[in-house]
Amino acid sequence: MSGAHFDHDWQLGELIDSHELPELAAALARLLGGDLALADGSGRIVWGTASPGARRQAVVIELDPVATLCSASASADALTAAGELLHDLLRTRIRYRMASALHLEVVAEDFASLKREHARLAESEARYRQLASELDARVKTQLAELEERQQMLYAAERLASIGQLAAGMAHEINNPLGFARSNLGSFRGYLQKFAALRDDLDHARAAWQALDLDFLLADGDELLDETLAGLERIAHIVADLKAFSNVDRSSEAYADLNTCLREAAAVIEAQLPAGIGLRLDLLPLPPIVCLPGHLKQAFYNILHNALQAIIDSGRPGTIILSSAAEAGRLTVRIRDNGIGMRPEQLAHAFEPFYTTRDVGHGVGLGLATARSIVVAHGGKIALDSAVDAGTTVTLSFPIPDD
Amino acid sequence: MPDQDGKRLSFKLVYYGPAQSGKTTNLLALHEQLAPEQKGEMMSMETQDDRTLFFDLLPLGFHAPSGLSIRCRLFTVPGQVAHDGTRKAVLSRADGVVFVADLQRNQETNNAEAFRSLSENCARVGIDLERLPLVVQFNKSDLPSAIPQTEIRERWQSAPWPLHFASALHGEGVRETFASLLGALYRRQDEACGLSREHGLNEAAFVAGLMGTP
Ligand SMILES: Nc1nc2c(ncn2[C@@H]2O[C@H](COP(=O)(O)OP(=O)(O)OP(=O)(O)O)[C@@H](O)[C@H]2O)c(=O)[nH]1
Ligand SMILES: [Mg+2]
Repeated sequence: MSGAHFDHDWQLGELIDSHELPELAAALARLLGGDLALADGSGRIVWGTASPGARRQAVVIELDPVATLCSASASADALTAAGELLHDLLRTRIRYRMASALHLEVVAEDFASLKREHARLAESEARYRQLASELDARVKTQLAELEERQQMLYAAERLASIGQLAAGMAHEINNPLGFARSNLGSFRGYLQKFAALRDDLDHARAAWQALDLDFLLADGDELLDETLAGLERIAHIVADLKAFSNVDRSSEAYADLNTCLREAAAVIEAQLPAGIGLRLDLLPLPPIVCLPGHLKQAFYNILHNALQAIIDSGRPGTIILSSAAEAGRLTVRIRDNGIGMRPEQLAHAFEPFYTTRDVGHGVGLGLATARSIVVAHGGKIALDSAVDAGTTVTLSFPIPDD
Repeated sequence: MPDQDGKRLSFKLVYYGPAQSGKTTNLLALHEQLAPEQKGEMMSMETQDDRTLFFDLLPLGFHAPSGLSIRCRLFTVPGQVAHDGTRKAVLSRADGVVFVADLQRNQETNNAEAFRSLSENCARVGIDLERLPLVVQFNKSDLPSAIPQTEIRERWQSAPWPLHFASALHGEGVRETFASLLGALYRRQDEACGLSREHGLNEAAFVAGLMGTP
């Protein structure tokens, strides 16, 4: 291999190739009077035949003879001149050969280093590709995990809110139940008095007076009315609950958003403490295809937040629930004049589990859930809030043109 | 690793350095000043404005007492930054290096850059810079803008290489630099090439043989 390097010792055969040698040597021979033999650096004759007693002229390149001219016919002077001629020719050749060999070395090395670079790049590209696919897979599993966790938390949150609901309902039902029971107890006492009258029918008028049955008749009537009203109220609450518990029925229906709003509002209304009011300003809406159960859940979550915001403000307040069909969309607004949100709270409001209240009082998923339900319906949800002034949640849904 | 075929021992010595630092001028001065037993023509391959395009080559030689023919082929590399590929190819297989730095203050970064390229290219062509016979020449000491010797010596005091100051254009310091490299070359090669053991050459004779007695 070292023969290929630009700086190796160049031999005659590399400087003048075998095709041109005869022509060159023949020309020199003519100049030198006819007799010429040409030897290479090692003394081997490469052209002609050396005559005995021939003059010799070495042609030195660098330090060593590269060629020797042998001629019997040439004068010493002519042979020296021919040697100089050949020397100049060989020197030109060697410059050219060294330069081109060096150039080739450089190009080969450039190419080799390009190939190395290419191999390196290819390898790192492969590595990146593998990394990318691993990353992709990792992201996917993590997303799946996250989703699963969110589902679990969502379920837990729902359980908690159902619990909250149940507590509210129990309280609500307990009240009418209490007075219905006590009323009926009183009513039994009244009936016993009428039984006593039957035992003393001979002195009926006096007994009537003594037993104060006029009062019993009047009061008994009132007691029954009141009890009936209480039972009516319980029936109402139960109906509301039934409507609300349809949230899991995820079948699509052609429904009026106002109905969903009313049902959600009815549930909240049952939980309203003294001093907090709920007003409905519902304008007629065209029905849309939707998941009514889910929408009720969304409205309930927002209403519940509104209620909580007013409770948190420590002041009386009102929740205003309005709806309208405007500019090709259905718009629902739920406004409260409660405690409001700070800008940083507002920024996080739709994040699952972001809550401004203590952990455990969680409505962390309330707005997040509401949003995903609204978005699933192709709708939008926007928050507008000012600290101590209140919050307005605006939902809007497209009205499909038919 | 020197070329050795029994009768001949050939060393390759390379003048390396930034563009225009005076590498070619060093070789021209050596061609003029040295008188070894054998001295070839100087071959230069340069551009029109005297910048080395491929290399310069100056062959020198003498015979050891044993009859061994000892050669030194002195090369210069092209200093221009763009010719790094050529520089690397010329440096390949070097047995010793003279690093020719330019003393002018405005050339300091070029010197540093070139020295870094020397160490990188050595690594690429398989030369161990730690063991390479290397001398550093600070050239153009004749110029008024030259950095003073004391400053250079101070700055390079921890460097393991011999330092030389030269004005190649005026032929000063060129022989000393070369002699210094030959000494380092001898010490590096003596054992492996059997210079003293087989060929009866001590360091002084080796250096004198290649420089010739003036
Ligand atoms: N004043 C002064 N000028 C010098 C000296 N040595 C070289 N020069 C000048 O510097 C210029 C470059 O010198 P060269 O020997 O061609 O430099 P080089 O290192 O071979 O340059 P490249 O072949 O381009 O790498 C020429 O004009 C020289 O005359 C010196 O010692 N003193
Ligand atoms: Mg040069």
